[in-house]
Amino acid sequence: MTSISPAPDLSWTRKLSRPEDLAAYRNQLIAEQHPDATRILVCCGTGCKALGALDLLAAMKKAVTDANLDVKVAPLVKRTGCHSFCSRGPLLAIQPQDIFYQKLKPSDAAEIVQETIIGGKLIPRFLYKPPGAKHPIEKRSEIPFFAAQTRVVLERVGQIDPFDIRDAIAWGAYNGLVKVLTEMKPKEVIEEMKISKLRGRGGAGFPAGLKWESCARQPGRHYVICNGDEGDPGAFMDASLMEGDPHAVLEGMAIAAYAIGSDRGFIYVRMEYPLAVQTLSNAIRQAEDLGLLGQNILGTGFNFKVSVSTGAGAFVCGESSALMSSLEGKVGRPRPKYIRSTEKGFRDSPSNLNNVETYANVPKIILNGGAWYASMGTERSAGTKVFSLTGNVNNVGLIEVPMGTSLRHIVYDIGGGIPNRKELKAVQTGGPSGGCIPIPKKFLDINVGFGKLAEIGSIMGSGGMIVMDENTCMVEVSRYFIHFLVEESCGQCTPCREGLTQMERILTRITRGEGQEGDIELLEEIGTFTNSFSLCGLGTSAANPVLSTIRYFREEYEEHIRDKKCRAGVCKALYYLEIQPDACTGCGVCKKRCPAKAVTGEKKEPHLIRQDLCIKCMECYRNCKFDAIAIR
Amino acid sequence: MKIIMDGKEVAAEYGQTIFEVARKNGIYIPTLCHVPGLEPAAMCRICTVELTENRRTRLVTSCNYPLRQDAEIHTDTPRLRDGRKLIIELLATRCPDRQVLKELGERYGADLHRFPADDKDCIMCGLCARVCERVGANVLTLSGRGVEITVSTFMGRVVSHCIGCGACAQICPVNAIRIEDRDGYRSVILKGKEASRILLRTCTTCGRSFGPVIDLAPVLERAGEPGVPAFHASVCPACSRRNHAKRILERHFEPYDAAIQSFVDEGRRF
Repeated sequence: MTSISPAPDLSWTRKLSRPEDLAAYRNQLIAEQHPDATRILVCCGTGCKALGALDLLAAMKKAVTDANLDVKVAPLVKRTGCHSFCSRGPLLAIQPQDIFYQKLKPSDAAEIVQETIIGGKLIPRFLYKPPGAKHPIEKRSEIPFFAAQTRVVLERVGQIDPFDIRDAIAWGAYNGLVKVLTEMKPKEVIEEMKISKLRGRGGAGFPAGLKWESCARQPGRHYVICNGDEGDPGAFMDASLMEGDPHAVLEGMAIAAYAIGSDRGFIYVRMEYPLAVQTLSNAIRQAEDLGLLGQNILGTGFNFKVSVSTGAGAFVCGESSALMSSLEGKVGRPRPKYIRSTEKGFRDSPSNLNNVETYANVPKIILNGGAWYASMGTERSAGTKVFSLTGNVNNVGLIEVPMGTSLRHIVYDIGGGIPNRKELKAVQTGGPSGGCIPIPKKFLDINVGFGKLAEIGSIMGSGGMIVMDENTCMVEVSRYFIHFLVEESCGQCTPCREGLTQMERILTRITRGEGQEGDIELLEEIGTFTNSFSLCGLGTSAANPVLSTIRYFREEYEEHIRDKKCRAGVCKALYYLEIQPDACTGCGVCKKRCPAKAVTGEKKEPHLIRQDLCIKCMECYRNCKFDAIAIR
Repeated sequence: MKIIMDGKEVAAEYGQTIFEVARKNGIYIPTLCHVPGLEPAAMCRICTVELTENRRTRLVTSCNYPLRQDAEIHTDTPRLRDGRKLIIELLATRCPDRQVLKELGERYGADLHRFPADDKDCIMCGLCARVCERVGANVLTLSGRGVEITVSTFMGRVVSHCIGCGACAQICPVNAIRIEDRDGYRSVILKGKEASRILLRTCTTCGRSFGPVIDLAPVLERAGEPGVPAFHASVCPACSRRNHAKRILERHFEPYDAAIQSFVDEGRRF
């Protein structure tokens, strides 16, 4: 992989010593940029990076230099954060022409520069073509995936270079901080937050304004802590925010610090997010160099020092008291104390802990007013929410929509529907603590919000959204999540440690075809028990995946236990594959693909699967063009 | 502050835990992981009670819930009994044949063999680790996570900074910890394996081993009495008593004995 020294040297810049200096510096930065300059924004988020985006970035830079362009303004190749259309990476956007190229290779760079930048022509094979459509979409803003979103928190993600604070400032970063430092009293900041009705984006949905207020009321030294320990399987909202726009998070924390009277902040990031740690540390250094963080910020006398602290990969450290223990250097286990962390948290001092996304919302609220924010979304869940849309959906990626958007809109309009002509079966929200929402039944038009999701037995959580098609076995899904939680439970309290272990045992038994009568009732008994007797948030929501799947897919459990049958074709002991003779054309693809040589038959004659040889790898099932292979 | 527990009003001080108030008022709440004097850990969850504060009812663990306002508490509802039963049944997978679980199981109608048994002999109450920290030795700790959580020494090593006080063995509700004195050394035995090994003093008189050779300074510091001279005995308590008795005899009785003897002798002469 090509390594690029990402951070520009800013030590030469003078410190901004007055609040007015920021606006002046911003104007100077904007003036330096030519308005007509072509900007090539290469996505270097974690997903695209894994697909070789850094090589593409280097190749683009080289291609632009090699082309020896005879134009007034040289195109600017920029490394940016996540463009959010992760299933199409590596990708880039060309502004202001509004072009979106996807699935690129480094070798395509020269062609892009020659054809598009110099020649001004589009290259159709790099354009995005929606599944089933005949023609590709030419403009980035017309692609439904982008057009159907409302980007508030993610506004700068994918537009700015996360390693260059100048870019962020040109886009308006730290304006909110200047506003609170010059125009607002801490009390007014908290009032504004209360008006905005912003609720914590980590999952519990506690109103941020109220939390700040109760923290500010406490005596003693205050701490501002940012929870970036995003551990849900299939969630990458916080990662993309920290990687794409670290300054939004830092600015939000600084505003919170001003409001509650703190001078010290910590960002707790999981070690598995090396890029986020890099961008944040770099952003802090650059902001301190410019006098936007650290001692005497912008000459106003307000101090705020932030450090990045990395976790060691324990899921439970996303729980607030475990996070604080871990931050103190102790074992990351939740504290058995009935006391709010706003009263006694980190080092037994009042601490305000919010999620990455919550902090990133704050500058926007300050700049545009709480009423503006409250006007988005629904009455009880204001604003927008970032979701990571994954699973069996065409457009996998990061999306931001106003609260109250229907699941239909998310899955079909933004997500582009289910691949391979499959039926949508369920949507899992909220990670391991959430639940599965059965779709075909009645919930496709449900509006996503804190209250609504809780009503139907799931939670909003931090925003993971896994789409599941008909080939998903709900028993296996709940076994997977319970297994994850058994591994990640801290082991302190009996219900979580022992209860989950027993539940995993029962679920494994069912998926192996050894289920017994009464297993469902037993799961329900242990599940409701762990949910009400456990110590921390992990334990009290741990049984949700099981309880919600039993609630909506009880017949599937019963099939597993009584009929020894897995209709989705996932639990290997509980199904077999069969070729339907009337649908089979005898093309021989299955025979060629089968690694176990279990398919027999002559060309153009219906084939047969020998059950004694079949290893149920599903290779034939996936590759049959005529849907002739059935799960029995 | 008006506290109603199981239907009757009880006296309680601000900040007292529900468990303390219940004990003081003769109301039984079961517990497996709490003893007065140690910081509550709320690990076993069997002391969970139903609490109504500000018209909101929820389940809380009584050992660590401080009462700070009017509250109504129920300590023995069907829901709690069901939960406790399940806790006992689940803990019984770790060690089904322990007296403490049998007694509680009888009380709450638990079937100790409902779930398949595991090969563990400890119910993970964490008392040993907490008492060890409290006495200042810090030898035992809870390590690992999830089902794998165990009581162990640092990195599972055989440690030498144990003070051999035996508090862990004494506090363990399921007798999973043993203290063994053998060949001049004292060891804490966890699950059949030696966890610590410290030298015992050898009596200069009788040659038998007695109390451990330890550095008491950190313990005394923790107890708030730094500077108390360390214990330097070289004679075992039994020999020490014997020697002391002998000294008393020599010093106080033998002179008289002699006098009496001479008196008696003189009397005989007459």
